[in-house]
Amino acid sequence: MAYQTRPVEQARPLEQAPLEFPYIGDVSQYERIDKIGQGTFGEVFKARCKKTDDFVAMKLILMDQEKEGFPITALREIKILQELRHDNIVRLIEVCRSAMDKSSRSKFYFIFEFCDHDLAGVLRNAHVKFSLGHIKSIMQQLLDGLYFIHKNHIIHRDIKSANILITRNGVLKLADFGLAKVITPPKPNHQNRYTCRVVTLWYRPPELLLGERDYGPAIDMWGVGCIFAEMWIRSPIMQGNSEQHQLELISHLCGSIEPSVWPSVTKLPFYTKLKLPQNERRKVQDRMKPYIQEPLALDLIDKLLTLDPKLRIDADNALNSDFFYSEPPLAELKPLLSKYPSMFELKEVSRNAHNQQMQQQQRMKQARPNVPNLPSETIY
Amino acid sequence: MPLWYYDKKDLKSTPSIHDGVDAETEQRYRREGCRFILDLGFRLGLRSETMGTGAVFFHRFYMFHSFKQYPRYAMATCCLFLSGKVEETPKKIRDIMKTARLILEGARERYIPTLGDEKGDLILQYERILLPTVKFDFCIASPYSFLKQYAKTIVGDKEQIRQMFQMAWTFVNDSYCTTLCLQWEPEIIAIAVLYLACKLSKFEITDWTTKKENSKQKWWEQFVEGLTKDIIEDICHQHLDLYSKSNLSSPGNGTVGNPSIMLTPTQTNSTVTSPIQPISIESPSTSRSMPSAKRPRNDDESNYRSSRNNNHHHSSFLNSNIGGIPTNLTVPPLPSSTSYHHPIICCSIVKIPPDRNDQ
Ligand SMILES: Nc1ncnc2c1ncn2[C@@H]1O[C@H](COP(=O)(O)OP(=O)(O)OP(=O)(O)O)[C@@H](O)[C@H]1O
Ligand SMILES: [Mg+2]
Repeated sequence: MAYQTRPVEQARPLEQAPLEFPYIGDVSQYERIDKIGQGTFGEVFKARCKKTDDFVAMKLILMDQEKEGFPITALREIKILQELRHDNIVRLIEVCRSAMDKSSRSKFYFIFEFCDHDLAGVLRNAHVKFSLGHIKSIMQQLLDGLYFIHKNHIIHRDIKSANILITRNGVLKLADFGLAKVITPPKPNHQNRYTCRVVTLWYRPPELLLGERDYGPAIDMWGVGCIFAEMWIRSPIMQGNSEQHQLELISHLCGSIEPSVWPSVTKLPFYTKLKLPQNERRKVQDRMKPYIQEPLALDLIDKLLTLDPKLRIDADNALNSDFFYSEPPLAELKPLLSKYPSMFELKEVSRNAHNQQMQQQQRMKQARPNVPNLPSETIY
Repeated sequence: MPLWYYDKKDLKSTPSIHDGVDAETEQRYRREGCRFILDLGFRLGLRSETMGTGAVFFHRFYMFHSFKQYPRYAMATCCLFLSGKVEETPKKIRDIMKTARLILEGARERYIPTLGDEKGDLILQYERILLPTVKFDFCIASPYSFLKQYAKTIVGDKEQIRQMFQMAWTFVNDSYCTTLCLQWEPEIIAIAVLYLACKLSKFEITDWTTKKENSKQKWWEQFVEGLTKDIIEDICHQHLDLYSKSNLSSPGNGTVGNPSIMLTPTQTNSTVTSPIQPISIESPSTSRSMPSAKRPRNDDESNYRSSRNNNHHHSSFLNSNIGGIPTNLTVPPLPSSTSYHHPIICCSIVKIPPDRNDQ
């Protein structure tokens, strides 16, 4: 039992007075500075708003191969971001267009508030040393953001450290809602049929790997568990190179996937089709102990990496866990991060390495993710 | 977010009017475009909400562009194509094109070329203009959802309430053919159509689930504080104008005889100011046009309507002919007390009390 529960106000969305950004509409009003990211659906640039001098991130919306006009995925992302306003959700300022080109086509861009860091970059930077208080702050903000979107019946479906941004003021922002989806709450006689080809492989929960199509917020919580451990281990903890391999890594860490720990698993489409490791003991805590000394953290990771999605801890309960209410208290991230330049000003070399990793983690590709050179730090 | 509500004054100085289209013709274009959206959506099996969002796009678009530049049926097709995606009920552009052409066959054949080729290239081009014009604002709530929510709270004879709810539902469909969605939030339109349906079915809402004893509160005040009867009745009048105008073009069909509607007379020269900033409207009664015997210059609407009647169109009050209560409608059943919950937080500027059934 948590000896202290969150005040109710904290559980509610902050009705923040939105910063007033001018509605511009024309991308030439933003001055491009640097390319900072290469996503599956487009490039991301750092830019400056000529009117206000604020930095923004500009993401190109690819629509070349679209037979059905403006992509529904981009529409979803816009709609969800418009309706979700929260401190820990990246703010979509507007959608802009470029002047028309010869074929009378203009390009469209998302304009986001600029964040100096992404968690993947921070974790790769060996100079950044997190204290337990810092980790608590990051995890709590991440869970606050997730609690908010889940409460609003939205699942993110691509939780990974590259999609978690941190501003120079140390505020964490959940980003990349390109795969997010409004879900219908479970009804007794109704089965949802969502695609199970979501979430970057390394952060993909076992139910998706086994073909579950009627899933819910628990899929995001698995990703939180992976990231939580990553805070200490500093690289993704289960770097599989195929769905089969990923399931093997999961079984080695979390124990065999079987009805005794997960009764409804037998109903999943690939359960009988895939060969899963047998007689594996659950050793989440044992294998992480060398890296993570804090027992309350181990305990929470254990609950997040629960095989059965029905038993996996949700954002609300995770936020209420003792981990956040024990010594040491949460620590501000701002002093820690301000020592380091924005990750986007780091050397080209490391950016390239970063981009390569991001490409490897490509999602929603028809082909199986193909990871030829596994990073050497893989621990499992 | 951009503000999408306009004064009546603004509605009289639109790009089309500046482009030489007279106000009445613009009204008709808007009406025809939205009817077309409803018809197209119905034939494609789309939900009312999707058609509603399409109609809102349509009305907003023509606050920035002229009907002379963008032909109404093509833009209407584009609006429904986009709203299908926005509301997660996407339809293939090819199917939309096929059905759109089908609807225009016959009486409105001459408009088919305005849709462009069968592949829908023109419509896709229009989408690139529509999107920035509606400022990528897809937070569009519909009166339908509020209607469901409000109707749940009414206490009284179940059958009467059901009939009234159905009538109100068709009024929402029809309301999209007016510019009401450019003047008022969906919450307020939902109240107005419910009010109108009550008047027409002679049902008085005297009791509701949250009613406090001895309170002088009107039933709608639990949803929108400070909303006056004058505003509601102005909306009703604007809505009814739709039928009286339409009745002109097809005499004998209408069932909404004005005498049967006993709205309280509104004073002239008074200014009704909306409780919700920054909307304000002029005196409701001054702008109201009385039905006259004048025949419309254009035969579009009558042709359209007669063809629609054969189709058993589901969604308009105009088609009903039994005692003013629409039959043969695709209206969802009155929601049970727990079934409705808007999936996304409400981002409207109207204050709404929390839904009691929201867990
Ligand atoms: N607001 C922002 N501020 C700073 N950097 C950002 C911002 N948004 C995105 N980025 C950078 O760009 C990268 C890609 O952005 P995003 O994840 O939104 O695009 P995507 O096309 O969906 O990417 P992917 O397919 O890699 O998930 C991020 O990982 C981050 O490094
Ligand atoms: Mg991403």
